Amino acid sequence: MAQANVLPNSPQSLAGEARTALDYSSTVYRQAYSRINGIVIEGEQEANDNYLKLAEMLPEAAEELRKLAKMELRHMKGFQSCGKNLQVEPDMEFARAFFAPLRNNFQKAAAVGDLVTCFVIQSLIIECFAIAAYNIYIPVADEFARKITEGVVKDEYLHLNFGERWLGEHFSEVKAQIEAANAQNLPLVWQMLQQVDKDVESIYMDREAIVEDFMIAYGEALANIGFSTREVMRLSAQGLRAA
Amino acid sequence: MFGLIGHLTSLAHAKRVADKLGYPEYADSDLEFWCMAPPQVVDEITVTSITGQKIHGQYVESCFLPEMLAGGRFKAACRKILNAMALAQRRGLSITALGGFSSIIFENFRLDSLRRVRNIDLEVRRFTTGNTHTAYIICQQLQLAAQRYVMDLAAATVAVIGATGDIGSAICQWLAAHTQLGKLLLVARDRQRLEELQANLKQGEISSLEAALPRADFIVWVASMSQGVVLDPQVLRDPCVIIDGGYPKNIASTLQRQGVYVIDGGMVEHSLDIEWNIMQFLNVANPARQLFACFAESMLLEFEGLHTNFSWGRNLITLEKLDLIGQLSRKHGFRPLMPEA
Repeated sequence: MAQANVLPNSPQSLAGEARTALDYSSTVYRQAYSRINGIVIEGEQEANDNYLKLAEMLPEAAEELRKLAKMELRHMKGFQSCGKNLQVEPDMEFARAFFAPLRNNFQKAAAVGDLVTCFVIQSLIIECFAIAAYNIYIPVADEFARKITEGVVKDEYLHLNFGERWLGEHFSEVKAQIEAANAQNLPLVWQMLQQVDKDVESIYMDREAIVEDFMIAYGEALANIGFSTREVMRLSAQGLRAA
Repeated sequence: MFGLIGHLTSLAHAKRVADKLGYPEYADSDLEFWCMAPPQVVDEITVTSITGQKIHGQYVESCFLPEMLAGGRFKAACRKILNAMALAQRRGLSITALGGFSSIIFENFRLDSLRRVRNIDLEVRRFTTGNTHTAYIICQQLQLAAQRYVMDLAAATVAVIGATGDIGSAICQWLAAHTQLGKLLLVARDRQRLEELQANLKQGEISSLEAALPRADFIVWVASMSQGVVLDPQVLRDPCVIIDGGYPKNIASTLQRQGVYVIDGGMVEHSLDIEWNIMQFLNVANPARQLFACFAESMLLEFEGLHTNFSWGRNLITLEKLDLIGQLSRKHGFRPLMPEA
């Protein structure tokens, strides 16, 4: 029975653990929050820019894409207010450097009219990463930020993912390109996450849970687009081991 | 559509299976990776009843591994189970069995207080622990073993290890109601719960594990949380029947002695081949027909359109439920798995 003898003796609950006595005012928390808040604000700003760019590239869907851009801008303002509420100055310089590799790849793809890579970066990778991080943040957020973040997540789930739909509609002709964009960009996400490992921990978030949530959301999006379970498992784990 | 939530027995086992299935990202990775891996639907299942009725289901691999508990990675373990349940629900599975450690983790860590998983509110009516069927099948295996090894239950001492657990207490109830035993020994850690069980049963003797083992003709092992117990074959009676209802089943391989008969407890055999691929990786002799009774419970509930959490919570299994699940089990062609004669 060796392997069965591993559970703790008494039942224990993980439910209450997260919300007991979290300190949002310590120096460690505030310093980490300054970087993470900066990343979130920058992420939403870039999402806005990216959707505006996509609107130019896909004139027939420009109206819908501009609406999405506007929504991302609204989210950005929400997150700015979270920083103000804690009187923390977001470290925007750090955030811009943090996003530089992904931003460069998006801009390079946009410059040559590579819609597929642009959608993979913005609609799949950035969106899924944001939703995963927000989901894990909510249970450990301060009251004010929790409400804002819950609203953002609700928005994200409500709006039909434009890029996912577009890639699905063109699946057979763009499949190989999606795989190539995935191989090029997903490893960047793991590296980015690693860079903020300590900060994530300092604001009481669980990195493992973020990665798992990301792989769930990303895998779901890939499956909706048309990839098989086998392909989803390979694509969504790409580069994770090396990170 | 029914569902099964399962997991593999160790990291080494998981890596072997991932390799065979052709998932190198999973096969070459360590525990860290499995702690982050999301649940996946890895198999489509078709089951035909001996009545001719056909049902379809899906197998959800939770990516949980027992090493997560051994290494104190409780949050990861809980996440695996909740995420697998959320996936089953999102797939629209009407009734899903929580196999292996899944239901134990759910119960032990009180995950019912964490029902919100992302944008999904878990509906517990869609899930069953399968414990009622497991308990029923173990009772049947005990009776079949008595016949097989020509041992008279009325003169025999039966020790139930883990007697106060959900499965253990149901077994004790059923045995008290349906059999005449020489002696029923109740073994568990919590003295108060043991006394309550004894009072409910109006029979049974509370015993320590050490005292029970040398006295028992039949040992029903359904403890899933005992700490560091190693069975010494020398203290056991000859003959002695052990029904290993634990998970994973490793008594048979670790304990070999003349006169000791080990039965894989809570396992059933179906009368017809089941169309699935995953069971060939779960270490059973005849993967097309042999499976855990808890898995079979979700199949039975699907056959009958009983889309409800038939087995749920602790110590809520009644004699009526045991009898009903037994009747359904026979109706659809399942029987208790016994070793080759």
